[in-house]
Amino acid sequence: MRQLVALIALLTLLPATVAWGAELDELLTRGNEANYSAEQTISCSTPDGVRDAVVRITQMDGELRVSSSVTDEVEVAAGGGTWSVRRGDGLIAETAVDAGEQEKTEPLYTVQEEAAVEYLGRAAMSYLLIRDGEPRGELTFDNETGALVEAITFTLDGEVYCERRFTSIDSQVESTSTLDTEAAADTGGTAPVEVEASPLPEEVSGFELLDQYEDEDGLRFSYYSDGFFSFAVFETPTAVSLPEATAVDLDSGKYVRAFTAGQVTYVWETVNGGMALVGDLPPDLHEAVLDDMPHPQDPGFFRRWWRNLFG
Amino acid sequence: MSHPSELISAYLDGELHGPELKSLLDHLAGCGRCSVDLEELQRVRSAIRSLPVLELPEGVVPEADADVVPIHRNRGLWVGAAAAVVALVIAVAALVTPAPEPVSLEDLTSRFGARATLDPAFNPAKVVVPPEVSE
Repeated sequence: MRQLVALIALLTLLPATVAWGAELDELLTRGNEANYSAEQTISCSTPDGVRDAVVRITQMDGELRVSSSVTDEVEVAAGGGTWSVRRGDGLIAETAVDAGEQEKTEPLYTVQEEAAVEYLGRAAMSYLLIRDGEPRGELTFDNETGALVEAITFTLDGEVYCERRFTSIDSQVESTSTLDTEAAADTGGTAPVEVEASPLPEEVSGFELLDQYEDEDGLRFSYYSDGFFSFAVFETPTAVSLPEATAVDLDSGKYVRAFTAGQVTYVWETVNGGMALVGDLPPDLHEAVLDDMPHPQDPGFFRRWWRNLFG
Repeated sequence: MSHPSELISAYLDGELHGPELKSLLDHLAGCGRCSVDLEELQRVRSAIRSLPVLELPEGVVPEADADVVPIHRNRGLWVGAAAAVVALVIAVAALVTPAPEPVSLEDLTSRFGARATLDPAFNPAKVVVPPEVSE
């Protein structure tokens, strides 16, 4: 009888102390709809050293613009399936993809409401992101705007991988859109394709293959997500140029790897061409993911030459 | 007077020696007909030797097939030479063929980023700073 009373008391108290079940998608969607400008510091402890950056962010009407806080020369504008990079007055790269039919995947993460906090003098709420019983992230959202003001991601052993912190935030922001998402939609972005004989797995280490895209040059990429982290695997007919890269020797073979503040890129070669993985997944997941992809293999002189000639 | 025509033929073949040879030479010195025969025979032989050598098709004279063998042996040489020429052409083509333009990291990041913006989990952390902006 005493045990039953204790159990009832525990169940009564539990919701007051731990709020489970807040949807990660809902929190992030609200954050994506927020209008604000902010300065953000990024610091990632990678196996190849620390990667830092300080950026200025402006988010308005679903468009996110990120530029250096030191120089305005380079600016990334992203939103609605479009991504553009500008240097000065010139457009360097612009890519548009169509969503296709998005299937709602089973949430891999549970969100635990951690604490009401004050961040930059503003009311905020902190959440713990848990995957397979292990905390993989700590997210803090500004109450007024819904902006994700702090994101700390962890490796499986609890070490901090990346810390992204707003050092200032201003919710009074004027629209200065540079991204023509409507024009991109009119001209049509790259649509997902059905790849019948893909050598890539449907699921790897909790990451689900959501869709695949292929352009007229034969460059194909497959997008994977586990609901928070994501990566794309590229199958390219030619080599991938990766400046300032490090050679790494994993169980599955030899790769070339490069980290920037928040992104990792692996490049390798198979008998069928070049491959690359680009994403924000933490280092402890790299080996497991790469092991399930086509392994590095030297195509040999003649295959390489043949590809050079005929693609 | 008898005319030793068989000995003339043997003489041309280098088969006469000693008394037989001396006897024939003495006869030729005094016999105009045999001297003419000798000259004609020498001309015919020279004419025959100047004719081109033709290869018989296989099987026409079974004994002659053995002579064809060296030609088969030469085929290896020809195949080797042809392979060397092909290898040379490939090597030159490999040298003069420009390597295709490599895919840039910026291009890959752009594609990944564009797709990531459609993800419900898209957030500022997904916007990767180009290396020129990193500090």
